[in-house]
Amino acid sequence: MHEESLIRSLLRQVEELAQQHHARAVDEIEVEVGPLSGVEPLLLQDAFERLKDEFSWPRAELSVLQVGLDVLCQSCQSESQLKDFRFVCHQCGSTSLKIIRGDAFRLLNVSMQVDDSFNGKPQATATQHSTDACGLPLNEQTSHP
Amino acid sequence: MPTTTIAVNQDVLAAKKQRAKEQRQLFTTQGTFVINLVSSPGAGKTSLLQATARYWQNRFRVGVLVGDLATDRDAGRLRPYVPVEQLTTGGACHLELSLVQQGLSRLPQQQYDFLFIENIGNLVCPASHDLGEHVRVVVLSTTEGDDKPGKYPKMFRTSQAMVISKSDLLPYVPFSVEAAIQDARLIQPDLVTILTSSTRDEGLQDWCQFLEDARKEMLASRDADAAEQLTASEKSVA
Repeated sequence: MHEESLIRSLLRQVEELAQQHHARAVDEIEVEVGPLSGVEPLLLQDAFERLKDEFSWPRAELSVLQVGLDVLCQSCQSESQLKDFRFVCHQCGSTSLKIIRGDAFRLLNVSMQVDDSFNGKPQATATQHSTDACGLPLNEQTSHP
Repeated sequence: MPTTTIAVNQDVLAAKKQRAKEQRQLFTTQGTFVINLVSSPGAGKTSLLQATARYWQNRFRVGVLVGDLATDRDAGRLRPYVPVEQLTTGGACHLELSLVQQGLSRLPQQQYDFLFIENIGNLVCPASHDLGEHVRVVVLSTTEGDDKPGKYPKMFRTSQAMVISKSDLLPYVPFSVEAAIQDARLIQPDLVTILTSSTRDEGLQDWCQFLEDARKEMLASRDADAAEQLTASEKSVA
C-alpha cells in the first residue's frame, strides 16, 4: 500500500511549516480524504503511527476528515454529491461531470504551539504555505491535457 | 505558549503533480508521446508491448520503462524488440516520477516517438501517481472478470483508455465485453475501449491507430501553441 509514502510526503510538509513558524510543538495535523482519494483512512492512521517517531513532533495527532464525492455538472452547472461511482448528473442526466471534492489527499490545517516572541508569524524568507505553491488545479488528480 | 492553527488546504501531492506536469511538457516538446500502462499482475501488459513493437517494427522509435518489484524478467522479454530500462522498486507498490526520471537517464537513446511506462501490476496505488504521461491506459484481461471497473473506481476514472486483453480466451471464460465496458463507462464516460489478443495479434491495428492519432493530436496542439506564442511575441515587438 502507498499510505506510507503519502504520510512521508505529509510529514515533510508539516516539518517545513513548523520550521517556518518556529513551532515549539505540533499538536494536530488535519487532513481530508474522500471516496476517490485512493487512501484508506484506517491504513493512513496506521502508517502515521508507524512513522511519527521519525518525525520531530512524535506527539502530534492525525485527524482525518472524510468527505463525500462532490461534482459539478459541466452541462447544467449544478453541484451534487455522488452516492456511488456512477458519474451521471442527478439534475440533467449529463455524464460530463467535474470532481470538485473527494478525489485528493489534502492537508487542511496544522495546529502548533509557537514561541511568543514570533507569535506564529512565518520567517520573512519562507514561502507561505497557505497559498497553493504550485497554482495547480487541486481537483481531478490526473486530468491530462 | 500560544497555539496557532495554520490553514494549508493543499493537496499533499501538489508539488509532485507540478513536477509531473513539467515532465509532461518536456515530453511534448521532444515529440515523445508517453503512455502509463497499468493493470493487475498478469493482465498482459508486457505481451501487449511485445505485440505493439512487432506491429510497428521500425516505423516509430519506441522506448520502454518497465517497473517490477523484483527481477528484470519483463525487461528481458522486451529487449529483443525495443530499448528498455528496468525500474526495480524493491517492494514498492507503484512507480513514482523520480524513478521514471532515473530510468529515462539510463535509456540508451534520448529521442522517442512513443515511450511506454509499464507500471507495477496493481489496480490501486498507481492510480494516485502522475508520471508525466499523456495517457493512462488500463489493461483488463478477460480472465479477471468483467466486474473489475466498479471495484477499482479510481483507476478507471483516471484512465483515458481501457484495453480488454486476451480476447482469444473469451469462449472459455464468463466475461462479457459489453458488461465490462458499461461498468467502466459509468465511472469514466469518455473511456476509449479496445479489444485485443496479443498472442493472435487481434485488435492491434485499433490499439496502434489510437496511439498514433493521440500522438498526432499532441504534436498538433504543441505546434499550435508554439505558433500562437510566436505571433504574440511578434506583436509585442511591433
